Amino acid sequence: MALAIQAEGIFKTFRSGWWKKREKQALKGIDLQIEEKEIFGILGPNGAGKTTLLSILCTLLLPDRGNVHILGMDSLYDGHQIRKRVNMVSGNANFLWSLTVKENLHYYGMLYGLTGKEREKKVETLIDIFNLKEHQNIPFDELSTGMKQRLSLAKSVINDPEVLFLDEPTAGLDPDVSIRIRKEILSIHRERGMTVLLTTHNMKEAEYLCGRIAFLKEGEILTTGTAEALKRIVRIGDQIRIEFKGTIPEDELVRADGVINFTISDHLCEIIVDEGEKRLGALVAMIAQGGAQIKKVTLGQIDLEDVFVEFAKGTDSDMGLCV
Amino acid sequence: MSSSNLQKALTQIWAFVFKNWIIAKRNVFAIFEILFWPVVGFFSVGFLTSFLELDPNKTGFILIGIISMSVIQVCQIDVAYVLLYDLWSKSLKHTFIAPVQSFQLLLGSWLIGVVRSFFVFLLLSVFSSLAFGLDFLQPGIGPLVLFLLGLFLTAASVGMTVCILLLLFGYMADVAAWSFSGLISLICGIYYPVFILPFPFPQIAQAIPLTYFLAYFRSFYGFDEGFKNVLAWGFGLAGLYIIVEAILFKVVLHRARRTGVLIKLSE
Repeated sequence: MALAIQAEGIFKTFRSGWWKKREKQALKGIDLQIEEKEIFGILGPNGAGKTTLLSILCTLLLPDRGNVHILGMDSLYDGHQIRKRVNMVSGNANFLWSLTVKENLHYYGMLYGLTGKEREKKVETLIDIFNLKEHQNIPFDELSTGMKQRLSLAKSVINDPEVLFLDEPTAGLDPDVSIRIRKEILSIHRERGMTVLLTTHNMKEAEYLCGRIAFLKEGEILTTGTAEALKRIVRIGDQIRIEFKGTIPEDELVRADGVINFTISDHLCEIIVDEGEKRLGALVAMIAQGGAQIKKVTLGQIDLEDVFVEFAKGTDSDMGLCV
Repeated sequence: MSSSNLQKALTQIWAFVFKNWIIAKRNVFAIFEILFWPVVGFFSVGFLTSFLELDPNKTGFILIGIISMSVIQVCQIDVAYVLLYDLWSKSLKHTFIAPVQSFQLLLGSWLIGVVRSFFVFLLLSVFSSLAFGLDFLQPGIGPLVLFLLGLFLTAASVGMTVCILLLLFGYMADVAAWSFSGLISLICGIYYPVFILPFPFPQIAQAIPLTYFLAYFRSFYGFDEGFKNVLAWGFGLAGLYIIVEAILFKVVLHRARRTGVLIKLSE
């Protein structure tokens, strides 16, 4: 599969202040390769450098050092050509306040060179797809936050981009609206097959939308991989909870395949394993054969949030792998 | 350039006409800009000339100045608005992630400025004829067209300066959109000939195209400020400034992409 986005050794430092210069290094040597038609997530806490990285990739910001290629074009020299083929959505959508939904779409359509009937048709289609019909004549500043974000998504596909950049697309939205927006993002991706790069600090969002995820912290990518692979890397595994009577064969449990850790307390045994579903049967059988009477078994899968917490704890662990 | 590419490029220019037009027609402040302030300013000065019992030539001198200033003010503010509207709406990044060239942005906003300021000119020239007997057609259509073109080009140059400052200094610079033309009115002799100004202002005035366009048009009403080749100087300087500012605009836009100003102004 061809690469849609390729970044090598991206460094960015922001300087501010007139008299007393202040510097903040936002990115420290980012390497990234994103394939065509992939949904790729950049996950990280506030201030990690997610927006800076996305802004560089979509040509709004120039890096201090490093190379960025979008759809095979160098972002430093072919910025104008790249802009024809990409688009973006940002959290807290902001468009021209006094223009209505329809006028805003027409305006951005014109900016992408859509003419006459072609633009008219496109705007009508987007209004239909994104359920904006009822609100099409309402000025932007009178729309609800969810509607604003829906307009933002509609605007982002007005030029049929091959690469779509989403900067915290559900930031500040109510949970139910966020869910709808995520579904719309998936639907856009399914129908149009574009490459999507998404930044978020919402683990559930990344897990739901993204094929692969990069963890960004303090301007560095700590690791990259699928949600499942990342869970394996941090080795906090799945959790099997067994309520029992009698005695657990601890020696056998230590030696059992796939067991990462376990705790036993007052008729409750919690076992962390690499793959819960795979190990569950053998472990339950082993405990039962060891003499314990099993009363209840539950299998809990960790989510990306737990992984995120592990990563956010620090970078000194052996997590700096690429999957 | 193929006809389809040309059509796309023209549409992109039209986008800025569309934006400024829609916002202006919904904005009470924008209506005041073309109707209230120019008319109030015009009559205030006009009645002052009546009170001072100035002869028709001197009245004409001053009224040409005040009308020119209104035309420039309205036209240049439209050029500045192309960034200011985005700045106030925090939507600057959406404009600059689109594949638009800086000349399209500046040209589109200038065109709507020309339309709006021409309307101001028509309105004030009718008032000046009815209330103070000043006939703007007295020099003929040709000189009037050249004079107006000079004013529009001067306005483009002032508006571009404001845009450059906005990309350099952000919100701190939006005051420039209203103060620049005031500064020009002081130096270029809107209400008086530039030679009455103390050193070095007459010399500075000679570096501003408006000085020459005013001298050109006023010469038809009996005023000679002693400048030679006024049209050549006026259009030469205006053209030079517009070219230099177009290059500077590209440079500061590149700088804004490098320093993160584009992102900061969209937050």
